[in-house]
Amino acid sequence: MAHNRTGIAAEAAGSRQQPAGPVRLRLRRYAQFATPYIFIGPSLFGVLAFSLVPVLMAGVISFTSWNLLSSPHFIGTANYTQLAHDSRSLRDFARSGEFVLLTVPLQTALAIFLALLMRRKFPGRTFFRAIFVLPWLSTPVVVAVIWRFLIDPTTGPFAQFLSFFGIHTGYSLQSTTLALPAIALMTAWQYVGYNALFFLAGLQSIPEYLDEAAMLDGAKAWQRFWRVTLPLLGPTTLFVVVTNVIGGFQAFDMVYILTQGGPNLSTEVVNYRIYELGFQQFDAGYASALAMVLFLIILLFTIVQLKFANKHVTYDVS
Amino acid sequence: MRVLKYTGLYVILAFGAVISLLPFLTAIFVSLKPAKGLFSTPMWYPPLSPSLENFRSLFAGGSFALYILVTVIVVIMVTAGQVVFSMLSAYAFARLRFWGRDTLFWAFIATLMVPNIVTLIPLFIVMKDLGFINSIMGLAAPYIFGTPFGIFLSRQFFLRIPHELLEAGRVDGSTEWGIFWRIVVPISRPLVGTLLIITSVQSWNNFLWPLIIGGTPRSTVLTVGIADLSTAVVPAYGPMMAAAVVVLLPILVAFILFQRQIVSSIALTGIK
Repeated sequence: MAHNRTGIAAEAAGSRQQPAGPVRLRLRRYAQFATPYIFIGPSLFGVLAFSLVPVLMAGVISFTSWNLLSSPHFIGTANYTQLAHDSRSLRDFARSGEFVLLTVPLQTALAIFLALLMRRKFPGRTFFRAIFVLPWLSTPVVVAVIWRFLIDPTTGPFAQFLSFFGIHTGYSLQSTTLALPAIALMTAWQYVGYNALFFLAGLQSIPEYLDEAAMLDGAKAWQRFWRVTLPLLGPTTLFVVVTNVIGGFQAFDMVYILTQGGPNLSTEVVNYRIYELGFQQFDAGYASALAMVLFLIILLFTIVQLKFANKHVTYDVS
Repeated sequence: MRVLKYTGLYVILAFGAVISLLPFLTAIFVSLKPAKGLFSTPMWYPPLSPSLENFRSLFAGGSFALYILVTVIVVIMVTAGQVVFSMLSAYAFARLRFWGRDTLFWAFIATLMVPNIVTLIPLFIVMKDLGFINSIMGLAAPYIFGTPFGIFLSRQFFLRIPHELLEAGRVDGSTEWGIFWRIVVPISRPLVGTLLIITSVQSWNNFLWPLIIGGTPRSTVLTVGIADLSTAVVPAYGPMMAAAVVVLLPILVAFILFQRQIVSSIALTGIK
């Protein structure tokens, strides 16, 4: 195979030495220069047209008052001053933070737990690993519809099953204290197995001798986890936490299906609020101002997490 | 003997598996129960005399079948575009040298931090000017040109292709275009499989943008159709669960067929 290839190569090299006109050579060089840009062209257009330019546009729109029908009015920073005094929207930002706090630690801790369970080979490992990833691929809208049915206090299977034992439940989605945690649990259900895959890969990159050395030193399983395994999972944990935080601030689908922000605004996360302002009340300027603030928050979080990582996360075993 | 050693482990994993599969099983169970008997037995009983009545009433008006058609068209457009364009640019980022390569690559990745909602208002305005509102083009356009995720995943894959393989093509006098299609694509079957599944499922699951840009029956995708069903004053659980099965079943089948590739590829995206 290899021999054959070098044979062809030699032949090709020979044929290339035939005289080529300077024009053809120059064309060829231009083509070589342009090729990479042709390869990235469509994606570059996509990123510019559907990501970068819209962000800049949103920035501009956030300084206007615009109902999407008439032409926009430039109003300076009025939208941002309005936001500073809009207690409802400020509470929505806080609620999104709360949602991130409810989901991300749970999703990460359970994922590490699952990955540790599946670290060593055992019969059926591939099967379980696959089943745990399935929720990540399933449609959030549909999953929300099914979960709502499952926890329905009158017709739902959970309630009926529990009432067999004389336990009666209320409707958590109609409770101002339980609705947000309920949505957080359903979200965690979707992402635990997906996150676990990253930790599994992370665990597999940790050389076994480190664990064995700690064992020889008399470290207990728990100590080995805290002192050896967890620190070495640092880069993986960072990756998972950063992506989960970014995702958590953007929760929408389940809120839309399950509560529409209610009861009593108790599940109105900021992404939902922006949707309402922009596409139901057609207040594009103010909605864009909120969106830009959300963007800045996510940017800030990511930078802080990466800075923290540079100081504290161990990337190298040697 | 070996199995006994793992009993504790299996108990925990089986519990996790049941929770993972619960919504799927529920949807299948309830959708197969006849509408009349829906409340006569407890909900968690299996459908002992299965009936397709719920599916019949779901498809009765004809609009649900139309939603399926619209969704399939959008998913095919988006997936075809994303797979081709993501792989093309990822190959350039991984194996070609050009001015601005690393800066551009990280700029692409940085767009992962841009919340979806920030771009949606300007995109809506642009689509309105282009006349794409309530149209298949409007549904598909923002997603056709590749995603940072697809580019990142493909790049990770292409970085592992042995240098000699590409060099052989270059010495043969092939252009990079030829090398890409004749050498890189054929050996990237696992990547293509993963990209096909992940992008098509993500497009299939997409909700917020279709909710904003669509609305007429001819521009309503399945997720939006189900949302309309579920936010009705009196939700009809039987047909709704039938709808859930229609949406989840293709994902389930695709996943069973490709799970090995998906699982190993996801791990690849986490490696720095």
